[in-house]
Amino acid sequence: MKLKRVTSGIAAAVMMAGVITGCGSSSDNPGSSAGGNANAGGDQKDVTLTLWSISTESDSFHSAYEQAIKDFESSHEGVKVVHETFENESYKTKIKSAVAANELPDVFYTWAGGFSQSFVDSGKVMQLDSYYENYKDEISEAALSNIIYDGKLYGSVICTPVSVMWYNQKIFSENGLEAPETWDEFENVCRTLRENGIDPIATSAKDKWVLAMLHDGLTLKSVGADKLQKTLLKQGGSYSDPDFLVSAEKIKELADMEAFIGGAAALSNDEASAEFYSGNAAMYFTGSWMGGSIMTDAENPSDFSVAPIPVINSSNAKLTDFMGGGSDSLMVAASTKEADLSAALAFEITKGVSKYGYLSGAGIPAWKVTYDDSEVPELTKKVAEYANNATSFTLWFDTLMESEDAGEYLSLLQKLYLGSLTPEEFQAEMAAQLEK
Amino acid sequence: MDSIRKNKLAITLFMLPAVVLFTGIIIVPIIMSFIYSFQEWNGITDPEFIGLNNYIELFTSKSAGFPKTILNALLLAVLSVFIQLPLSLGLALLISRGIKGERFFMTVFFIPVLMSTVVIGQLWLKIYNPRYGILNVILDTLGFDALAQTAWLGDSKTALLAVFIPNLWQYVGYHMLLLYAGIKSVSPDVIEAARIDGATDMQINTKIIIPLLKPVIKICVIFAVTGSLKAFDLIYVLTNGGPDHASEVPSTLMVNMIFGESRYGFGSAIAVLIIFLCFFFAIVIKKAIKTEDYDEK
Repeated sequence: MKLKRVTSGIAAAVMMAGVITGCGSSSDNPGSSAGGNANAGGDQKDVTLTLWSISTESDSFHSAYEQAIKDFESSHEGVKVVHETFENESYKTKIKSAVAANELPDVFYTWAGGFSQSFVDSGKVMQLDSYYENYKDEISEAALSNIIYDGKLYGSVICTPVSVMWYNQKIFSENGLEAPETWDEFENVCRTLRENGIDPIATSAKDKWVLAMLHDGLTLKSVGADKLQKTLLKQGGSYSDPDFLVSAEKIKELADMEAFIGGAAALSNDEASAEFYSGNAAMYFTGSWMGGSIMTDAENPSDFSVAPIPVINSSNAKLTDFMGGGSDSLMVAASTKEADLSAALAFEITKGVSKYGYLSGAGIPAWKVTYDDSEVPELTKKVAEYANNATSFTLWFDTLMESEDAGEYLSLLQKLYLGSLTPEEFQAEMAAQLEK
Repeated sequence: MDSIRKNKLAITLFMLPAVVLFTGIIIVPIIMSFIYSFQEWNGITDPEFIGLNNYIELFTSKSAGFPKTILNALLLAVLSVFIQLPLSLGLALLISRGIKGERFFMTVFFIPVLMSTVVIGQLWLKIYNPRYGILNVILDTLGFDALAQTAWLGDSKTALLAVFIPNLWQYVGYHMLLLYAGIKSVSPDVIEAARIDGATDMQINTKIIIPLLKPVIKICVIFAVTGSLKAFDLIYVLTNGGPDHASEVPSTLMVNMIFGESRYGFGSAIAVLIIFLCFFFAIVIKKAIKTEDYDEK
């Protein structure tokens, strides 16, 4: 009996071993062939660098990335860049978990300001000050200011996008309107369009950041850059300041006069901007990147024009104050095996994308323009001019604030839009969140 | 055979892979969630122990609105059990009678289960679209002008129902298939005997098939209830819990807290409660089955 038990035990063990070795041998073959490839590559000193970005094929920067990568590969022989792209919203999740799990690629796209603060704090991002020396004539320190943490540089910036008011010039002239510069003019524009049966503003309250583009801009034009930054960064200044209430009231006013496209809470950014491109709505408040999309997606790009967001309180803010500034950046993972190459990649790609993105009208370059830009679409040139003459840049609320505050801000803003919070309650909740 | 069952080495060897996988993939993460739920943690920097504060905030914070998400999930569970399952049962009974095109209809009803939920979500997004969606176009042609203006997914009043309908619709085919298989396993002799005794179709259905189907029905109820408690994907695609938390369920709130606001501790507390609720209902429903089974015998 005992012997039998032992035999069956051995039988079981043998079976298990068979299973294990079975697996082992079958996975052996691909393993050895992969090893063979690596050896073959080793002779030519091939290096593969991985780059993560959000410029998917439908993104207006996609071809700019492709060209910049091609340039980099041809100037660095033997280097191959693997470019992996992800959808914007899901990428935010992906990058955070990649940092936490130590699975960062060599170079990755991120947003400067509060979003990347914790990445830098965690020590998983490489400091780039020594590499910046080679590029300091081509990109100013001011353009990089958002990616400097505690006086140290942690990345390179592609564009200096700004929030602007895109509008349909054709609809405006048909209704005898001009681009508004003050709140009163803006209100008049909305009222006139509504009376004439045209949706004044297309926006998305489902993708809350789109609505935030308008609210951020109005807040800046009511509060002023200095006070706004101090408040959001919790460096003195309080959200209870009456100037902050004004922009919340304006959102409510616009919602009450039905200035927004119907069902904005159900429309995504893509759906809402499609309404704008097709001429169903007259205005769209978003970043300068829309200039590129108008050229490709709108039926008649020549109908469209651009203007700064109107001023609410002229003693605090000017027409030339802008929300925006360098935010889209490339950072280098501290875990990379090719520190020098990866740093060069981060700088070269941002430089290249800055150039090609500007030439295609997709972005406002953060890097100095040392090339012929006569081919740049009119709209983008106009925004680039605004950015060049800007009196101040303030990062968007949701980029500037820490992520917990940013999430709360966006959901409070949605409630304000839906009318389940009054402007006073919105202000009180914001103040409470920032004082936490 | 018996000797193998008593052999500790064999038991260990054969159990090991399953035990390792089960602990590694299910037990350990649950325990980790449990630990995280007592911490304030942004996922990257060092966590801070805060005791029961996350749980207290869950039930007191107005801006998170957790109690309402539980109510929403329970509402979905009730709708699943009392609308989705009767519908599936009706379809299963109809199809299993051997109507023409039995296989065709079964395939058709099962298609939504096979399709990716994201695809279904995109489909219903287009149906509900306030400007060109087929629903509003139909309402408009029928003359309901006021209704045709509704943004079904964008209005706090209609969003919850609007996301529940595709949720219920999608799994009708799934439950139908389970019930259909159950009905097919009922012995035809019994039904034939009843028919000879003069039983009508209705009587055969209510007096013979449905009682014999009870074990399958109860499995369906468990699936429907626990499925509702962890409903996520379709809601995430359609509204992501919005607008203003109107269609929020516990799992969408959890994801928004963890990945939207980087509050891993708070999100883990929600996860722990979802696990708890799923266990609770599964056990309650199972208990209900057992007592009734004994009553019958």
